Amino acid sequence: MASPAGPRWSLLLVRNLLLWLVPVGLLWTAVTPAYNRFLLGSGQNLLRLVESPNVSALVRKDRHFAYVQRLDFAPARSLVHSFRVTDVHFHLVLLGGLFMAVPGIPWRRRLENLGLAVLITIFFDLLLVFFQAKFVYATQLGDWSVKNYGPFARNAYGLGKHLLDLPFKLSLPFVLWTGFYLRDLFGALFPPPTGGATTSTKTSPRPSA
Amino acid sequence: MAAKKASPPSPPAETPETGSLWQRNRREITFLVLFIALLAGGFTLISLNWVNDHVIEPFTAGIAQVSGVVLDLIGQDVTMEGTMIRNKRFAVNIKNGCNGVEAMLIFLAAVLAFPASWKSRVAGLGLGILAIQLVNLVRVVALFLTGVYFPRVFDASHTVIWQTIVILAGVLLWILWANRFAAPRQTAT
Repeated sequence: MASPAGPRWSLLLVRNLLLWLVPVGLLWTAVTPAYNRFLLGSGQNLLRLVESPNVSALVRKDRHFAYVQRLDFAPARSLVHSFRVTDVHFHLVLLGGLFMAVPGIPWRRRLENLGLAVLITIFFDLLLVFFQAKFVYATQLGDWSVKNYGPFARNAYGLGKHLLDLPFKLSLPFVLWTGFYLRDLFGALFPPPTGGATTSTKTSPRPSA
Repeated sequence: MAAKKASPPSPPAETPETGSLWQRNRREITFLVLFIALLAGGFTLISLNWVNDHVIEPFTAGIAQVSGVVLDLIGQDVTMEGTMIRNKRFAVNIKNGCNGVEAMLIFLAAVLAFPASWKSRVAGLGLGILAIQLVNLVRVVALFLTGVYFPRVFDASHTVIWQTIVILAGVLLWILWANRFAAPRQTAT
């Protein structure tokens, strides 16, 4: 598969990105309930890895929201926090759009890269769910937080949750995309100085599928 | 038959295509390292309380003021108080994540890390940041109107749709900037 060289590559990328966002968004909407359940189950297991006895539970409230529950608290105040699980992973839409939009890439390579990027994003999402709960435990439960978490832990969980929840979550798709496709972009923007109508070999480092 | 003495193979020449990983990808690796360092530095900087209180909060209040003026112009009769915009039917508090700062930082890090002239970078940053803030202004106004007229879809619109659009704007602007202004023109031979 020959890659379009030069500025046309970037314009095709922009066009493809805008076109791919709709189907990727629809697919993300369809899998969101299942992915939310997966994140809550796995996030709960991750929380229980670092606590003894097991007192944390992530309880699904509805299609989008969940509670963080402490089973060692009195039932009336055991639901210590509510958060929108869907907000944890909406960056998957941009990630899918960016990875599917790259022009002149064999489908096999495109799907391999997308698969790896989604896998990294799933680990990131799990970490974010973990930090959501630990942030509440360390900083939001008043005297109980101060008694059970030291100043370093409170700051670490606070800063970690802040960085993961906004800046890192929002920039992750683009950072991953640059990691996988920067060579293709640079190959298109800075063609080798051989002249003529040669196509940059950097745009297709692997043979077509 | 006389045996021909085999000469030891000479090492391949270190050309850009056959050199080390660093030699083959110096431009890409430099971009990635700079981009991630600038991104992490920028995000850490805006996490500091002093920066948040003295830079981000006043900037966000400015966004609220401008958005309030636009909402007034379209007949929403709003009042502003710090980062809060309200009328009789709805109120929003503009917080971090809704002020376009993250998209601006992603764009800024990508522009500064890209191999381009300083003139291109400064022009790109000026126009790009202005464009991102215009998109963000549309977001705040649209979200307020969504809250007034379609409150049921406010949550999804607030995060999923508009945050994606603002980050997408930053990414698209960078690609277009790199393509149109920063990269050297391909000369036909």
